[in-house]
Amino acid sequence: MRQSYEATPDVNLLAQFPQESSFDVAVIGAGPNGLITAAYLAKAGLKTVVIERRQEIGGGLATEETLFPGFYTNPHAIYHLMVDYMPLFQDFDLGVHGLTFIKPNIQTAAVFKDGSSLVLCQQIEDSKDSIALFSDKDARRFGHLMRQWQKIVDDVLAPGTYVPPMSPIDMIEALNRGESGQEALRLTEMSPMEIIEENFENDKLRMALLYMSTMWGLNPRDSGLGFLVPLLVTRNLNKAQCYGGSHKLAGSLSRAIHQAGGIILDNAEVVKIDVENNQAKRVILDDGRVINASAIISSLPPPQTFGKLIDRDLVPSELVQTAENWEWDQWSFFTVSLALKEAPRYISEDPWVNDALMTILGFETYNELATHFDAVLSGKISDSDEVGGHATTETRYDPTLPRIPGHEVAFLQSHVPLSTKINYEEVGANLRDRLISKWSEYAPNITKDSIVASSHESPLDIETRIKTMVGGSIKHGDYNPLQMGVFRPHDSVIAGRSPIDGLYLCGASSYPGGLIIGGPGYIAANTVAEDFEIDKWWKTPKYIEKYKEAYLEA
Amino acid sequence: MREEHFDIVVVGGGHNGTTIAAYLAKCGLSVCILEERPECGGGQENTEPRPGFRIDPHATYLYGGAAPGFEQLDLAKYGFRMVYYQSMAGLVTTDGVAANLGGRWNREVAQKSVSYYTGQDAVGAEEVFLGSMGDDGLRDLLRSIFWTPPLPDSVEIEPKDAPMWQEFRKQLPGLWSERLVEMSFLDFLDEFVPWEPLRTFQAFAAWYCGAHPGWDGMLLPSLGGTLLVGYSSGSPRGGMHSYAHAIIRSAIANGARVITNASVGEILVKDGRAVGVKLDDKASYPEKTIWADKAVISAVDVKQTFLKLIGQTHLDASFVQKVRDVSLKGGSLYVLSVLCRELPKYHGREDAFPEEVYPSCVAAPVDSIDFFHTQTKDAYSKKKAPVLTKEHLTMMICQHDVYDRTRCPEGYHVLSPIYLEVPPPQYDVEGPEGINRHKDEITKAALDLLESLAPNMNSNNIVEVFLNTPYDSEFRNAGMSGGNWYGARQSEDQWFGSRPIKELGRYKTPIENLYLCNHTSHPGGLCLMAVPYNLMHVLIEDKIASPGNWWYPSPYYVADTKKGSQN
Ligand SMILES: Cc1cc2nc3c(=O)[nH]c(=O)nc-3n(C[C@H](O)[C@H](O)[C@H](O)COP(=O)(O)OP(=O)(O)OC[C@H]3O[C@@H](n4cnc5c(N)ncnc54)[C@H](O)[C@@H]3O)c2cc1C
Ligand SMILES: Cc1cc2nc3c(=O)[nH]c(=O)nc-3n(C[C@H](O)[C@H](O)[C@H](O)COP(=O)(O)OP(=O)(O)OC[C@H]3O[C@@H](n4cnc5c(N)ncnc54)[C@H](O)[C@@H]3O)c2cc1C
Repeated sequence: MRQSYEATPDVNLLAQFPQESSFDVAVIGAGPNGLITAAYLAKAGLKTVVIERRQEIGGGLATEETLFPGFYTNPHAIYHLMVDYMPLFQDFDLGVHGLTFIKPNIQTAAVFKDGSSLVLCQQIEDSKDSIALFSDKDARRFGHLMRQWQKIVDDVLAPGTYVPPMSPIDMIEALNRGESGQEALRLTEMSPMEIIEENFENDKLRMALLYMSTMWGLNPRDSGLGFLVPLLVTRNLNKAQCYGGSHKLAGSLSRAIHQAGGIILDNAEVVKIDVENNQAKRVILDDGRVINASAIISSLPPPQTFGKLIDRDLVPSELVQTAENWEWDQWSFFTVSLALKEAPRYISEDPWVNDALMTILGFETYNELATHFDAVLSGKISDSDEVGGHATTETRYDPTLPRIPGHEVAFLQSHVPLSTKINYEEVGANLRDRLISKWSEYAPNITKDSIVASSHESPLDIETRIKTMVGGSIKHGDYNPLQMGVFRPHDSVIAGRSPIDGLYLCGASSYPGGLIIGGPGYIAANTVAEDFEIDKWWKTPKYIEKYKEAYLEA
Repeated sequence: MREEHFDIVVVGGGHNGTTIAAYLAKCGLSVCILEERPECGGGQENTEPRPGFRIDPHATYLYGGAAPGFEQLDLAKYGFRMVYYQSMAGLVTTDGVAANLGGRWNREVAQKSVSYYTGQDAVGAEEVFLGSMGDDGLRDLLRSIFWTPPLPDSVEIEPKDAPMWQEFRKQLPGLWSERLVEMSFLDFLDEFVPWEPLRTFQAFAAWYCGAHPGWDGMLLPSLGGTLLVGYSSGSPRGGMHSYAHAIIRSAIANGARVITNASVGEILVKDGRAVGVKLDDKASYPEKTIWADKAVISAVDVKQTFLKLIGQTHLDASFVQKVRDVSLKGGSLYVLSVLCRELPKYHGREDAFPEEVYPSCVAAPVDSIDFFHTQTKDAYSKKKAPVLTKEHLTMMICQHDVYDRTRCPEGYHVLSPIYLEVPPPQYDVEGPEGINRHKDEITKAALDLLESLAPNMNSNNIVEVFLNTPYDSEFRNAGMSGGNWYGARQSEDQWFGSRPIKELGRYKTPIENLYLCNHTSHPGGLCLMAVPYNLMHVLIEDKIASPGNWWYPSPYYVADTKKGSQN
């Protein structure tokens, strides 16, 4: 930690947040999950504090003026995949704080150098229109499959996100109780590539679907997590953008927390969790402040919660191992953001492309994309030809981001290895230039003249901003069968309750995992509420009740 | 859609808007803050344009330490924390003088450093005050200057009996003389501060946070600015936006509703009364009309309030002209933020600034009072291309990270902000965007000058430079007219009961139920929670607010006895 030379000891001029304080609940980290947990518990009447290292809360829910001065961007999460399911939105009226999501019909486009493009929409028939230009057969198949997959998502995958995990054996038994569950089980044994090849023949459609199903970190060639493919593909056709920036969700949650009497302490890094007789007692902050709490809920990944913050001898040995052997994500993002005089216009015959919330570019074939992922997985940055990614014109659906009228803000994000494998300080500028030139091949109106400002964020920058995302791990840890389900982060942590009394986990490294889905936060809130024996003021959403009845309570 | 009614609607969630909202919510009123930007705080802002590095585009120091608001709004409970600095300031000249002026918590360093040049013990003007008054005395003197509502029209007093001079006599009877009332700060400096670089430094320092030192009758408001910052000698942990967080959280915990991305396009007036506001179409809120049953409080600048948000049909032409004529001169800041690996090592006495007492703000170059006159003349003129010789470029070079480790990663430093006073864009003969056409040359000249004063500030050391001109500032924060730290010149003509104009002197307006709460009202710029504190007296008088026993008024408050009077 850096040295500082405050003149504090004998100055006592202004009243400050106390040196020592006590709460029922102390949440470590004000990312989406920490905020969700805190919002539920504060509203339940528990005296709650959220402790955040950064000045701004939100973690991955960031909206910042990275194109300084004058242009806000969402440097991290922008696509909100689970807005339709998150119990949060039923339980809290965040609209009173001005929270609104825009969920446009035109969701995901893929553009190709020959001027052709795929425009995939929320409305399945619209998607089929576009696919039919390539293959009638695939268009029809797409229609059938999306209906089937949507049902699997509604029946088991979405509700499962908000219910604690079970052991694989129990899970198999449960899922076998219904058709949707059985299909999810069948897909589990397949890799994303196998699933796509089983269904579709057109190369360009295959490319787009492979991108959509793996962009968040599924290994294209690995089986074991295939059940996630229907979830990721259908949600990729139902993304929402938070109007006013993703941070607005964090801001709205924080207002709900304050309204309920909770406190958020920013610029406060937890450096220690004190454990006595296997009971978590208090956290110590970097400025020496002490916060006692009956429940300490960490949104930090195991190498931090168990590997760094707690004395090693006080951590159960199986969790010491988890901390030591934790596998970070297999890849991260490199993002180039531009402030532009006009929105990118893609070289497509279909003008609707320019309205897509997300546009995949740089990959002409299915094979090219697979090669790109292979390179990334082997720790390399793809060669010039294969570099590509997904682009979004952020201002298309959110005109509030630029402070200077008449400008647009857009980004291109590319999959790259973690910063443990690549020296981004060295290659960053070059990669940025390559990405901009690739982007302008597909959107020729991106020129030196039209670019008003640019910035880029590498995996190293991601970690610098948000310490939980080690090496740029946007999900706090790889998705592989050994770190998923009941094993996320370890099967001794049950529904967020760790084997250390009073210590809970609520972050992306806990079941079900990363992204703005709110699962870990919701599950932890429920568990803590049960342990405190308080009345839950919230009701389980109907679709989750239905899942429980059909699959869990037989 | 919902029909939205609140007792109070506050337009603008900057420092003053959020603070009045917190006060009124604590009085039990239903309050809604409408803020145009994604985040409240206004000038109390920090941003992180490069991951891990936090810069201060506007406000940087805590001047408001003496505010009753800390206690009244319970900011400690909502997370307020301070970092007190070993050294607040230093000065550097082109010919190798480098003096560390310390701060309130470390006077020895200043004495040692200055006496090296002057052979004398006394350090400067503040020393007279900081040295001779305790916390309470200094606090009360500051409160009499800033946390005192302007007197009602009906009350006539001699200038020497103004609250600030009454308190001055009480606190410093030995220093008092009637002569002071007429003096300017420069007169005072001539008398009390013989060493030229120090005198120059103090003139600059006062100009950056108070009335112009040359203005007669404004000695105390001018000196007062530097006393405000000296009083607490430090900044909120994390930067000024953390202080905003504590205010906003206090407001929300007391029941205020905060809506961001909600730009107000119009203040609705019916039969001469303000009844609510209308949001711009792009606002994220579903209901675009928000009704105010008791009052609308405009916490955006006076010009926007009357020239844009209120239809001219409701206003008298002569009044409108007066608002147009409110002077913006001075106070427009050109702000650089320099990320670097090493702190500047100023030439001359390199040992003057060891890291553990490194001055948080270095004024450079401050060779002679001519530098001060040259630059103020620039800032008050309507000139075209900037003149970029060293006499025109005295900078305030701030850094916080030596004392506050949250500001940047290990191994780096952030010189932010580096302030340079320039003319307001509105008065640029090339048009308001004129200054932006010259920004490359200005930035280069400023950085070259810095390198000539501190040779290690070369391109190897500098990692990245961010810049916001006053023109950019206006875009970033629609309330910040002129990119100006006070929104309306803090001269005697625009001070106390005449700020920004006489008709608006006590926060009331020609529109019933419309009140002003922005730094264009008394006591002007800086995040002091003072405009709202003073306004509270008037709102209590008008029976809009009735606070509990947590409230205490200014001892110098005089009620307006003309009951129910609206200007
Ligand atoms: C470039 C990028 C793009 C992404 N895009 C998307 C997207 O489009 N859609 C999507 O759904 N997801 C996206 N994600 C992923 C998503 O942001 C994360 O998975 C999610 O934010 C994880 O939430 P969390 O609450 O578990 O943790 P985080 O968001 O990581 O929050 C953890 C918080 O803890 C704080 N913290 C860390 N250490 C300490 C400490 N010692 N003491 C106190 N506080 C501490 C951190 O500062 C942070 O605020 C993206 C991520 C990145 C980096
Ligand atoms: C460069 C610079 C340096 C400074 N340094 C310091 C310092 O070190 N210390 C210090 O204490 N002070 C400093 N100040 C002064 C301080 O920042 C201001 O005096 C203070 O922020 C004024 O507060 P305010 O609430 O009156 O206005 P602002 O803080 O400007 O707030 C106005 C708010 O209204 C919003 N708004 C505008 N129009 C609308 C609309 N139509 N609808 C809705 N919302 C709207 C704006 O977005 C903004 O948030 C500095 C100022 C500048 C410019």
